[in-house]
Amino acid sequence: MAGCFHCGEALPTGSTHQLEMEGVTQPFCCPGCLAVAETIIDCGLGSYYQHRSAPAPKADTVPDELKQLQHYDLAEIQQDFVSDKDNLKEVQLSISGLSCAACAWLIERHLARVPGVSLIQVNTTTERARLRWHDEQVPLSRLLAAFADIGYQARPFQPHQQEQVYNREVKSYLLRMGVAGIASMQVMMVALALYEDLFPGTDADLVEYFRWISLWLSIPVMAYSALPFYRNAWRGLKNRALNMDLPVSLAMVFAFVASVYATVTRTGDVYYECVSMFAFLLLTGRFLEMRAKRRASETTANLTLLVPMLARVETEDGEQEIAAKILQPGQTVLVAPGSQIPADAQILDGSTSVDESMLTGEHLPVTRHRGDTVFAGTTNMESPLRLRVLRPLADARVSEILRAQDDALAEKPRVAILADQLSRYFVAALLLVTLATYLVWLQLDADKAFWVMLSVLVATCPCALSLATPTALTVATSRLSRSGVLVRRAHVLDTLPRVNRIVFDKTGTLTRGEVAVTSVTLLAELSEPQILSIAAALEAQSEHPIARAFRPYLDEQFQVSERENRVGRGVSGLVGGTRWRLGSGAWLAPDNQDAELCVYLANEQGLVARFALTDPLREEAEALIHDCRARGIATTILTGDSSGQAEQVAERLGVDTLIKHASPDDKLAYLRRCDQAGDICLMVGDGINDAPVLAGAHVSFAMAGGTDIAKSSADAIMLADDLRHILTARHISARCRRVIKQNFSWALGYNLVILPLAAMGQVSPWLAMAGMSVSSLIVMTNSLRLSRL
Amino acid sequence: MNDVEIWYLMIPIAMVFVAIAIVVFFWSVKSDQFEDLDRHGSDILFDDDDVAHQQAQRKDPLNLQQPGSHKQGDAKQKDQHDHSA
Repeated sequence: MAGCFHCGEALPTGSTHQLEMEGVTQPFCCPGCLAVAETIIDCGLGSYYQHRSAPAPKADTVPDELKQLQHYDLAEIQQDFVSDKDNLKEVQLSISGLSCAACAWLIERHLARVPGVSLIQVNTTTERARLRWHDEQVPLSRLLAAFADIGYQARPFQPHQQEQVYNREVKSYLLRMGVAGIASMQVMMVALALYEDLFPGTDADLVEYFRWISLWLSIPVMAYSALPFYRNAWRGLKNRALNMDLPVSLAMVFAFVASVYATVTRTGDVYYECVSMFAFLLLTGRFLEMRAKRRASETTANLTLLVPMLARVETEDGEQEIAAKILQPGQTVLVAPGSQIPADAQILDGSTSVDESMLTGEHLPVTRHRGDTVFAGTTNMESPLRLRVLRPLADARVSEILRAQDDALAEKPRVAILADQLSRYFVAALLLVTLATYLVWLQLDADKAFWVMLSVLVATCPCALSLATPTALTVATSRLSRSGVLVRRAHVLDTLPRVNRIVFDKTGTLTRGEVAVTSVTLLAELSEPQILSIAAALEAQSEHPIARAFRPYLDEQFQVSERENRVGRGVSGLVGGTRWRLGSGAWLAPDNQDAELCVYLANEQGLVARFALTDPLREEAEALIHDCRARGIATTILTGDSSGQAEQVAERLGVDTLIKHASPDDKLAYLRRCDQAGDICLMVGDGINDAPVLAGAHVSFAMAGGTDIAKSSADAIMLADDLRHILTARHISARCRRVIKQNFSWALGYNLVILPLAAMGQVSPWLAMAGMSVSSLIVMTNSLRLSRL
Repeated sequence: MNDVEIWYLMIPIAMVFVAIAIVVFFWSVKSDQFEDLDRHGSDILFDDDDVAHQQAQRKDPLNLQQPGSHKQGDAKQKDQHDHSA
């Protein structure tokens, strides 16, 4: 059966949403998708559907969410992300659901029609848009709503400062690389004619002319393209460290100066083509490396959306909305159901259930009454609250966790990086040998000493060696993001193969993090589908995790009236003239003792059914633990949960160690113990409570569905919520390490062969040139093999 | 002009082309043309001269008071509400 015309999802039973376009009636899964398709067709943008390469995201915008967009119009919220240009305002938006060129076209055409918009530019690579508009003609919230009309969610975000630096660097490397590339093509063309061994007997005047031409062409390379190398070498020297850029810079500067001298005095050899080619190849490596870094930083920034936290404060002149960050202790705030609690506060009036999963990692809401304390960042699920603020946001529980995360990051145990150690020795050895060659030749033949030393420097220039690590890392990083693992910090690839213990958070990592109905016990003469549909209809409007468990069973045939919510108990309502109640055992069946999580359904006659609910394991979890065991990796579950479910999960999966009822501090302490015992740990988690451990582990992964804070403290993010990618990533990084070693052996081997020849004065410029280019190309090709894993 | 002397003419001409290439390259990088390489290849597929699209555009100035975006947003909210009630 065909799915929804807009999003491609399966059509729910009894769905009647249809739209006729170009003479064909197309079915839709929900009114959201239908409305979006209507807008697109009405605006004459129907060719989107012909050219798109992937189905659109499901357009289930909740009306509440649209209302919340107005928060983005407040000046004190806007100052964080909106910039002023002349009379216009400009904002960067992160767009979810942007999958192909057709989406970009659709968005640009639709937004450009809104009066007041002066510029809209969509970038499909970064999944972002740049929007410039006249603020007095149209507010930002209406523009964001215009994105929602055609089915995309656009939200302002704060680009990391790091990212702007990367942006500038990528551009400058691209320019330098372009100049070096164009120049080296020309120089190479001319240089071929200058190779005496290959083309003997070229006209002497012509040789001089070609030399001058090469000189002019390589000036921009030396003066512009190669600047970063000089700068890095100088920085290294100042810090008393030898880096790869030092021999590169020395070789380039010496070779160029000597070539200029040779050109002017008509003696010796010229190395212009070597100099230009060095610059081009090395800049290519740097450019690719920098671009991969920028990509990682962009994707992370897109994942951490900027959601303004607002508070509705009760003042003498009525209610007022202000930003949560300026709340003072003692102020009274009102929190509507479904919204975030803006501060650590005490409940003055009302009782409700609060979703504290972001702090504790537990998905079931807890009931809070008058006098209880609630925490900033948690969500009020059921009924309105009046709160008295206890402390400013900067001292709230969530801020404390963030500080613990920063501390942990500063003390992160590091695994020494292979390439750094190797290159240091290499550079020192190279400089010594060059110096020795010069001194020896000074005794033998003082006239030739300088030229021999120069050919040693040029022939052994660590071009291939400098490319060995960055190319392999770049290719492996892009290979990993293709299988859904976004590497944020470069050390991941170096550390991952050495991991011998994987530590998992339980809820949301090994389990799905949402409850589902696992069994239904019928207590009256009604069919199971009917019971489930009635329960689903009763829970249809609730955002409670238990209510969401019933959502798949929704049938439009049952409609509820007089719905009533009872905090901490359940819900009741009229379906088909009968009063039904759905709720906890304590409310409906006080005599029953349940070991697991249960809810009951009752009508006027009494109990009708009992639903058992659990947080199901991810399908792939069992296979993952099995594979870990086969590879000799120890596994640990580290959870804040203190219920019996932790043991069940550990037993079913066969996990080696179980640590339950652990606070964020306990978790960090456990990792420290592992570190002291010599284990290299990989931590996988999703909640804010995991953030300090994620930051403090040798290497850490955050789940895609996790909280922003977890994602920003982890070293890598699993974009697809599939745990098996952990082992894929480990495999790829092990291969990457091998490729780096191969590259090193090749580059070093080549240098060892060419060095004695050069020291004896047997390497002519064309041989040095060919050797250098071929070894660099071999290294690059070898690294590219990683992309075909 | 013999066969060697032609170089004295050809290479300066080549240098001029190189200079032009570099200038064009700088311009294209500075105007962000290398920022999104996936997308612009398929721009040609989209037909901005589509009759329906042009009609919708002409219609727009009349809607200035109440832009399409806003109206559609309301319509959708209402629609969803009806569905769930």
